[in-house]
Amino acid sequence: MARMKFLCDSERCIECNGCVTACKNEHEVEWGVNRRRVVTINDGEPNEVSLSVACMHCTDAPCMAVCPVDCFYQTDDGIVLHDKDACIGCGYCLFACPFGAPQFPQEGAFGDRGKMDKCTFCAGGPEEDHSVAEREKYGRNRIAEGKLPLCAEMCSTKALLAGDANDVSDIYRERIIARGSNKGAWGQNLAYNAAGRKR
Amino acid sequence: MRLTPKQSTSDSSSDKEQSQTGLSRRSFLGRSGIAAGGIAAAGMLAPPMMRKAKATSAPASAGPGKPEVKRTICTHCSVGCGVYAEVEKGVWTGQEPAFDHPFNRGAHCAKGAALREHGHGERRLKYPMKLVDGKWQKLSWEDAVNEIGDGMQKIRDESGPDSVYWLGSAKHNNEQAYLFRKFAALWGTNNVDHQARICHSTTVAGVANTWGYGAMTNSFNDIHNSQSAILIGSNPAEAHPIAMQHLLYAKERNKAKLIVADPRFSRTAAKGDQHLPLRPGSDVAMIWGLLWHVFENGWEDKQYIDQRVFGMDEVKEEVKKWNPAEVERVTGLSEEQMRTAAKTLATNKPGTVIWCMGGTQHTTGNNNTRAYCALMLALGNIGTSGGGANIFRGHDNVQGATDFGVLSHTLPGYYGLSGGAWKHWSKVWGLDYDWVASRFDQDSYEKAKGKPAKPMNTKGIPVSRWVDGVLEDKANIAQKDNLRAMVFWGHAPNSQTRGADMKKAMEKLDMMVIVDPYPTASAVLPDRKDGIYLLPATTQFETYGSVTASNRSLQWRDEVIKPLFDSRPDHVIMYKLAKKLGFADQLFKNIQVNGEEPLIEDITREFNRGMWTIGYTGQSPERMKAHQQNWHTFDYTTLEAAGGPAHGETYGLPWPCWGTPEMKHPGTHILYDTSKPVAKGGLNFRARFGVEFEGKNLLAEGSYPKGNELKDGHPEFNDKLLKKLGWWDDLTDEEKALAEGKNWKTDLSGGIQRVAIAHGCAPFGNAKARSVVWTFPDRVPLHREPLYSTRRDLVADYPTYEDRKSHYRLPTQYSSIQAQDFSQEYPIILTSGRLVEYEGGGEETRSNPWLAELQQEMFVELNPVDANNNGVRDGGQVWVHTPEGSKIKVKALVTKRVKPGVAFIPFHFAGEYQGKDLRSKYPEGSDPYVLGESANTVMTYGYDSVTQMQESKVSMCKISVA
Amino acid sequence: MNLKHQPMQAMPGWLNHSLMAVLFSVLVVWLLGITSAVQAAQAANTANSASAMAGAVTGTSAGNRGADYWRQVTRGESGYSTHRHDEAGVLINRSGEDWRLLRNDTIKTYGAWALGVTLVGLVLVYLLFGANKLDSPRSGRTVERWKRVDRYLHWTVAGLFIVLTITGLSILYGRHFLPELMGKGAFGSYMSLGKLLHNYLGVLFAILLVIMLVKWLANNLPTITDIQWFLQGGGMIKGKHPHAGYMNGGEKLWFWVLFLGGVVLMLSGLVLDFPAYFDNRDDFQLANLFHAVSALVLICGATAHAYIGSVGTEGALEGMTTGQVDETWAKQHHDLWYEQIKTDASEDKAND
Repeated sequence: MARMKFLCDSERCIECNGCVTACKNEHEVEWGVNRRRVVTINDGEPNEVSLSVACMHCTDAPCMAVCPVDCFYQTDDGIVLHDKDACIGCGYCLFACPFGAPQFPQEGAFGDRGKMDKCTFCAGGPEEDHSVAEREKYGRNRIAEGKLPLCAEMCSTKALLAGDANDVSDIYRERIIARGSNKGAWGQNLAYNAAGRKR
Repeated sequence: MRLTPKQSTSDSSSDKEQSQTGLSRRSFLGRSGIAAGGIAAAGMLAPPMMRKAKATSAPASAGPGKPEVKRTICTHCSVGCGVYAEVEKGVWTGQEPAFDHPFNRGAHCAKGAALREHGHGERRLKYPMKLVDGKWQKLSWEDAVNEIGDGMQKIRDESGPDSVYWLGSAKHNNEQAYLFRKFAALWGTNNVDHQARICHSTTVAGVANTWGYGAMTNSFNDIHNSQSAILIGSNPAEAHPIAMQHLLYAKERNKAKLIVADPRFSRTAAKGDQHLPLRPGSDVAMIWGLLWHVFENGWEDKQYIDQRVFGMDEVKEEVKKWNPAEVERVTGLSEEQMRTAAKTLATNKPGTVIWCMGGTQHTTGNNNTRAYCALMLALGNIGTSGGGANIFRGHDNVQGATDFGVLSHTLPGYYGLSGGAWKHWSKVWGLDYDWVASRFDQDSYEKAKGKPAKPMNTKGIPVSRWVDGVLEDKANIAQKDNLRAMVFWGHAPNSQTRGADMKKAMEKLDMMVIVDPYPTASAVLPDRKDGIYLLPATTQFETYGSVTASNRSLQWRDEVIKPLFDSRPDHVIMYKLAKKLGFADQLFKNIQVNGEEPLIEDITREFNRGMWTIGYTGQSPERMKAHQQNWHTFDYTTLEAAGGPAHGETYGLPWPCWGTPEMKHPGTHILYDTSKPVAKGGLNFRARFGVEFEGKNLLAEGSYPKGNELKDGHPEFNDKLLKKLGWWDDLTDEEKALAEGKNWKTDLSGGIQRVAIAHGCAPFGNAKARSVVWTFPDRVPLHREPLYSTRRDLVADYPTYEDRKSHYRLPTQYSSIQAQDFSQEYPIILTSGRLVEYEGGGEETRSNPWLAELQQEMFVELNPVDANNNGVRDGGQVWVHTPEGSKIKVKALVTKRVKPGVAFIPFHFAGEYQGKDLRSKYPEGSDPYVLGESANTVMTYGYDSVTQMQESKVSMCKISVA
Repeated sequence: MNLKHQPMQAMPGWLNHSLMAVLFSVLVVWLLGITSAVQAAQAANTANSASAMAGAVTGTSAGNRGADYWRQVTRGESGYSTHRHDEAGVLINRSGEDWRLLRNDTIKTYGAWALGVTLVGLVLVYLLFGANKLDSPRSGRTVERWKRVDRYLHWTVAGLFIVLTITGLSILYGRHFLPELMGKGAFGSYMSLGKLLHNYLGVLFAILLVIMLVKWLANNLPTITDIQWFLQGGGMIKGKHPHAGYMNGGEKLWFWVLFLGGVVLMLSGLVLDFPAYFDNRDDFQLANLFHAVSALVLICGATAHAYIGSVGTEGALEGMTTGQVDETWAKQHHDLWYEQIKTDASEDKAND
């Protein structure tokens, strides 16, 4: 059984934001909602490192554990998805998520949170695959088309990898061997096994 | 990668149904219909009360229909990334990565990944419009073209053809660029130019004068073979992100060492092995500093220099002055830093030099580019795989537009403006030379080689100086009258320096015509009440044709969608205007016109018949389309097709692709690479500067491409040389008829090229590269301080040039500006650059919400030291003032990316002017999402001594809290 | 639970016995349901946490870039991002994990216990001791204890409190048993509406609670009598009623619990209610924890209050429904107050 994961190779990530706009493009994500973002640590200093981050589709996902309406579910491939119809916009998933993945469009006069939106690993939502409803709420379902998330497919330097955890690890391992050191995997220890998430 | 697609809801397996975190998706779906009863209150809530998730603005169609897949090329930068565009019922519904494309392997930067927005075009200019009483008014194409044509004709009658300026674009495809240059020629002026003037003109001049051609010598893919690379004033992580894919590949696979010379610690520098933060404008000093260590340690490639380089001794002499102490005084780089870098380059060969606008946009730009070349020549890195001068061009087709001479100093193919050049092209066009000449102003305003020269043969005003063409006293301009009408055909005015003067010039003009998919800053900058016309052009996704990437590969684009709104492709607009102006018959003599649309393929075939100098002759539409359809057959590193219809050819038939298409030359992947026969893409340095100079031989000695029958240097080929060598009879009778009295550049049969290549010879001869250029102001590249230098001590030692009376028709200031000392009042060096999200003037990218969201404000990068000294906080608003009196109000970004004493501003913003918001001046609905102060409002005077390149990398400023 | 014997003539129309009965029974079902449902979930959660804790960051050697930035990001250090929201630069938010453990493990567990213990305790008190009956028969004469405006205020706040309790507890515990109970679809609808009610009625509740607390503050200032009242166990131990004024010590205690708990509840609730003004996860996490704890305390307190004020004390409820209490009740529970009003009344008469 495939276990879908992202991995960002910080030795390659150049903060070009291609992953960010690829996501916007594929899912027509509205202004203000960012399913993926790139963060640069130590900006402008010799140890500068950039990383692309989105929902890491945690094996033991904190968002799932705290959702009051239990709107999350994990597919057989390990992709964490949610049901927007059930979402009540309470924001708990955002409080719990280490990565700041859940996004909320502002709604109403008081700026309430609308339905949560987050990276779907390009796997849509609970609606029927390729249905109009699924596309409107979650964007395209590339996984059902046998494709991988567009952010990773379009990554300018192939820093962002997505796919079955074993395959992704293999690709990354090859690079480590080529470089002679294990520098900069983001996600390897983090979401690829639950252990990485704890201090 | 094996995938387990999400299973359908009817799947019965339910072993994971009850996970510890709650119900699984499947069980949820299974049960959602069943009301389990229970609490009454809940039952009261009918399903409609449940808020449905709101739809975002999803495209109309959904689901995996059978979309049509178009193959196109990204229109942002010159890397030339392939794109699969999915189109359903005429709507661009999807963008898929082109994994089989040899340049990008499906990858994109922020801009490329947001291309599909072009299918929405929400903020586009939608109809022809004109400004009447300060308000935008819609009008029909017919009325617009008639009014514009009448206005131009009036100016022509009163002031001559040179008073209308044709500002073309690097966004044209090759066919449109060629047609545009021809259009200007038939209108009768050399006042035609485009953005290459202000991005890489100093590269083209400097490099072409060093070894023959002024383009990138190798390719992005060939960087895979590099063992080291020095990037100077180049920030591919933001400017050419896909180039980083190749650089990092080399870094990973070869352990290639990357040295990044940039005043700023850029995203590229973060990936480098060494960062050389030189003082802006001290490039020559830095390069000579590197060469000092090279010569000191004997690291130069002596055999290479002896065989293939002319004038290295003179360079050596100059380099002697640049001892480590002096280099540190001028550049700020220590002996240790320089030695390390020099050693890295000398011991990790082949190595490549990569430069961009950080090197070119200087008053000494041509010196910089020649110095870079000298460094590579000394190390013997040119003409080898993994080496080369990998000059990354800017816009998607700036290479093509440059090659097609959308420039005020040459005709297509760098033929120049001599009578011979005009006669060559008149012949290709099938026009009478005398008729073409009659289109020009017949008077004379300046002298060339002591004789009066006609405007037809003198360089026109460059784009960097059109402002002075309007504002300068008529008596000082070497043409009949001032510029009175400007045609901005795909140009962002905010990419030009001296914004305040430009505003004045725009207000003085009789007429402004803006042909562009977006209104651009030209529409809003001047305070005018009338006299501006906006014509909506399409993007390249709404037409088709070829585009030349930075590596000289030509790629064919499909039409993705039909023109949006009331826009027209550029070549259609050219037809409309030519018809109105009365020379459509001549312009399209060899070109079929369907309705109002000239046939793109016919334009390609026409330039194939004339572009012999740089080998744009072998790339027929058919061959380019075959490459386009077979991306997958080309190798990721060598770009050579293995099998398939293009077997053995290099992707995109990079020029020179010699001879006729029938000759099937594979294109030249690596320029001057002697390891291959010319017929297979091998080459040597071009014999462009004669056979000897000052009594010394200029031809190559003992170095020649594989298979060269002459086995030594030789001059360029013409009919006489063929006869002398006894190869004349290799020509067919038809070829002989056309080749008689001609040379390899003007023989329309291509026979001279064919025969030369058949004997293993490069048609352009086999000479040495030269590291001195005796026709330039500085024979050996010299360090000269910028006009606005904060280092008065260095100004005294390294002064700039004397003022010049006529340089591209205009007086040009140097020393008179440098003489003024502003260093006390303006102590911070101001430099500019780009952001990955935006491109050029940014009108297009700031109108794309997916990109605009990422950079919502114009800013200035300040080092914490300068910020604190000026009382500036991160995120606060500041004024940036420069000595010419302009100022911009921007947000402060306090960061260590810049060193103390240097401020950096990105140049993509427009729509605010010295604190004033111009949003209300845009035609309704076509204002970009993000506006901001233009960097070039404050960028100051300064132009290259050879090409009139603008100085936009060094000025000086003071910062005050707003 | 039988409230039928209480007089009901002055009851506001919207607040009738049957509705109260429904609401109370819901609450009871709730509290009983929670205790078992939560336990199962907690067990699973704890196991996960334990296994997760076991691992550490592996594969990075000291001194290289990877290890350095890894330490930085796991410490929650902020970097640069082109994205605009306040925390876009934070790669890993450490506090989310703490919040989750506190909410899911600590608060949910102890909250459920607290609710269960309260309920069971009250049932036991009722079963063991029975209601606190009037020592003497009703006099038939009544005195006014609560003015109309006070009663309206009380019942509106109480009604809102009940709605907020139900919706709030649904948010905390609902997912463990409500979907089974009402069906997933209805649960979704209910929770959507519930969140809306909770967010908007919460504001109204806060406003009215502030008015109520301010209005009743004077009556609830602690006095020396209250200490004696507590020392005597509020009359529960010796069966003798200690002295008490208008409000007895127990009532004052409840007031101050409500006061303090209410302030925390309101402030934290307002933070949660207006996410647009707070762009910081830490604020929300903290607010959420305070909100949950204060709410649970108040729910337990309110349950006890409701018991004591109704079935627990004969004759108490009518004070808040009709506004009148029997003089016998007044003498028994609030002797000092009774004496005071009698004195006042006779003085008034004398003055007439």
